[in-house]
Amino acid sequence: MKRKILTVDDSKTIRMIVAKAFKPFDCEVLEASNGVEGLAIAGMEKPDLLILDLTMPIMDGVEMLGRFKTNPELKTIPVIMLTAEAGRENVIKIAKMGVRDYLVKPFKEEVLAERVCRIIDLKKIENGPKTKRFDDPLQILVVDDKPAIHEQIRLGLSETRWTVTGCVSSEEAAVFPGALPDIILVSLSLPENAALTFFHSVKANPRTKNIPVFGLCVKTAVDDQSRAQQSGFAGVITKPIDYEDLKGKISRVLSLDTSYRYFDSHDNILVIKLPPVLTPLIANEVSLHLRTKISEAVDSGFEKVIMDMSQTLKADITLIKIGIEVSQLCQELSLKYRMVGSNGIYNECKNYEETKDWRFEKSFEEAISALSPQTVAEAV
Amino acid sequence: MIDELERLVGGAVTEVFGTMLNFQVSSEPPGCVKNGETHVAGSVGFVGTLNGIVYVYSGASFARRLTGSLLGLKENEIIGEEMVDDAIGELTNMIVGHVKSRLSDKGHRCNLTIPSTIRGEHLSVGRVSATERRVLFYSCDGSQLVVELIMKPVKSAV
Repeated sequence: MKRKILTVDDSKTIRMIVAKAFKPFDCEVLEASNGVEGLAIAGMEKPDLLILDLTMPIMDGVEMLGRFKTNPELKTIPVIMLTAEAGRENVIKIAKMGVRDYLVKPFKEEVLAERVCRIIDLKKIENGPKTKRFDDPLQILVVDDKPAIHEQIRLGLSETRWTVTGCVSSEEAAVFPGALPDIILVSLSLPENAALTFFHSVKANPRTKNIPVFGLCVKTAVDDQSRAQQSGFAGVITKPIDYEDLKGKISRVLSLDTSYRYFDSHDNILVIKLPPVLTPLIANEVSLHLRTKISEAVDSGFEKVIMDMSQTLKADITLIKIGIEVSQLCQELSLKYRMVGSNGIYNECKNYEETKDWRFEKSFEEAISALSPQTVAEAV
Repeated sequence: MIDELERLVGGAVTEVFGTMLNFQVSSEPPGCVKNGETHVAGSVGFVGTLNGIVYVYSGASFARRLTGSLLGLKENEIIGEEMVDDAIGELTNMIVGHVKSRLSDKGHRCNLTIPSTIRGEHLSVGRVSATERRVLFYSCDGSQLVVELIMKPVKSAV
């Protein structure tokens, strides 16, 4: 059975660092932001180990530990204190409280993991945690009192393998019909502030608190948008929905691997394939993976790169920036490099100082041929 | 006393950035805060036998880089400003917590205030009269990091 570690700390940053420290291990990290929440989650989940902060609002670590140790169901659970205060007096106080170990902030994640492994048996996940890909199935829960919106979103995401489940009210959504969702989209215009109430109930439930929740509203509802941002929503999606933007936001918040959409290999050649419309969001994704993908290619012995813009409709500043980045990286790493583009792209590039000298091959095959050893030798 | 505190704060900055972020900070000569972009400042106060406040601030882009490094996230995975504010607040909290521990060993009893953050362009921290102030400049990963220490003077150190 999967081990459970409960981290109780008022700092979201620390909770995220603790969760990161245990990512390579086969365990579940539960989070609470104060002693009251911590006791409630500990009572429900019976964790195998508790990592506890000392100074917290509502109920601090000392009081929580006192109650923890008097609860017959919890008192045997080992506790590690993680505290920013390491004065001698403080250390003596912690030692008297019956904790198994203590760690002082700042701390190294590996040291925390090692201390925990001394107390409970944690197994490392082989090959590390699997990164989800954009084309993996996902569950999307849409909470909107207008069923037409559910349909629109279903249609807008129909090219993906993502399943959209619609609920017309937060009460209906609260039972999570179907599988536990990966993403929740909730209308911010639900009556009686139901979106915020629903959001808080999702975040209060240890099983669902890590599910990113996006607000849905019309572009002009700025107050709703600002309330959602302040409450900690993962973001706001405005209607009418731009589905490329929605897919991008979901990909980012779930860290989905999207690189395969733009990077491929063909006979030891790294191929960068740009889509018909290069939005700033897509350009950002390409740019984000560029250095890593080119480095990986060089590591694997590749010496050639083709940037395929044959499908791209327009040469604008976004495309030019990527082109320049690719060409600079290829020069830095002494890679042979060719671009493929339509006549339209070629003509548009002639209009810019930075791109007027760019050479394009008309097809992918011509680019391969231009990169062949004979052609390169002839050119030399 | 402020000299002693300045030394403790300097040590804490090096320790926290080195341990949590694997970033080396190097002390820079006194200078000007580089403006031109929004700054993010974390602050934590200490109250007790010694009273004061510590501000840690940098440009917003460097603050995002610090957050990414701290949380193991790529910059595009840092959504909104909340994560950055929380991370800068926590780094400041660790720095001042570290100082508090050293002060505690020297017999000073202090409580820390909750961390808070401020954002703004042309940010400057002022002090009221009857307080002492030190501004420490650091270079870290090619960016500027500024730490300000403001405290009520004490008649004699313990």
